[in-house]
Amino acid sequence: MAAFGRISQTLLRSSLIQTRQLSATAAHGHGEQTARTWKILSFVVALPGVAVCMLNMYLKMQHHAAHHVEPEFVPYSHLRIRSKRFPWGDGNKSLFHNPEVNALPDVSFLNSLVTGPHSPNRLLFYSIMFTSVHLPQGTQC
Amino acid sequence: MAHQAHAYHMVDPSPWPLTGAIAALLLTSGTAVWFHFHSLTLLTMGNILLLLTMYQWWRDIIREGTFQGHHTPPVQKGLRYGMILFITSEVFFFLGFFWAFYHSSLAPTPELGGCWPPTGIITLDPFEVPLLNTAVLLASGVTVTWAHHSIMEGERKQAIQSLTLTILLGFYFTFLQGMEYYEAPFTIADGVYGSTFFVATGFHGLHVIIGSTFLAVCLLRQVQYHFTSEHHFGFEAAAWYWHFVDVVWLFLYVSIYWWGS
Repeated sequence: MAAFGRISQTLLRSSLIQTRQLSATAAHGHGEQTARTWKILSFVVALPGVAVCMLNMYLKMQHHAAHHVEPEFVPYSHLRIRSKRFPWGDGNKSLFHNPEVNALPDVSFLNSLVTGPHSPNRLLFYSIMFTSVHLPQGTQC
Repeated sequence: MAHQAHAYHMVDPSPWPLTGAIAALLLTSGTAVWFHFHSLTLLTMGNILLLLTMYQWWRDIIREGTFQGHHTPPVQKGLRYGMILFITSEVFFFLGFFWAFYHSSLAPTPELGGCWPPTGIITLDPFEVPLLNTAVLLASGVTVTWAHHSIMEGERKQAIQSLTLTILLGFYFTFLQGMEYYEAPFTIADGVYGSTFFVATGFHGLHVIIGSTFLAVCLLRQVQYHFTSEHHFGFEAAAWYWHFVDVVWLFLYVSIYWWGS
């Protein structure tokens, strides 16, 4: 069912591009008829195409809800990078942070960190950074 | 009473280029201050000045063209060149982000796991919301063409209907994309994948919002009888911009969502 939506959408897309190119070159051809042609295209092709994709999405989401397998979480060092705090909130959450799907790196102490070469927290900072988040040498926060 | 012996528009002195430049200064310095000193004052001032500049500058252009008749055919031709050049510059802007994406994804480094998508990245299914977004933008391209022909044929009611439909589709895209951003299992801070994904799609989304706003202004003007069947360049410019936004999305979809998954 979902595959049908996929195939019909690919056909839809190519036919839409062709019709658009046709109209661009024949902008003033067929005078009074052209608006009506595009109106028909809108309601018979374009909007039903959107509806098909909406249906496809709805069915896929139902399928996901029934068969969802949570992938195992691995705290990779090349992800969840925090070389500089975000300029909002606690500086640790991205702009569209979703607690259900976005894991946070363990940098809760980052707020109380005093930056500078003689900071007492520097060693602690680097030791934890090394294990959880990749940090290039000489980075200032 | 003085008359000009040529068809061109000698524009009256205007303060808006200056306020626009000041706004640009406030926005750039304001962003830097926000990042380093957590103050939003300059940024807020910059945004207010930017909005005021845009509103007043474009209001003046509408006055000059629609009400005072300064937009003769040669002047309109110049405006067309201007819009085409602007859109071309935007194409180059996006080319840069596509370059960045392909640079990182064609030869993934060992730090990422030597593969694309990088290890640990759960990509979005290109045949769910992204496909719907593609259909929405393509459909809006059809409806905006319907709007254009309606204006050319003097079909006022149809023009308003089709333009409204186009704008609604634009809003629907923005809404869907916002939802996707919230539901995505990866963030902008997830290595080069996150960076390229959110910067490219983020700037695109911003352009959808700009395009939708441009079309909304055209809708207001159409309702107020600004456009004639022969002369409606403001609408044409908005439609060109909208098609550009659609094409950029198609490239984004094929490159980042589909090939990159």
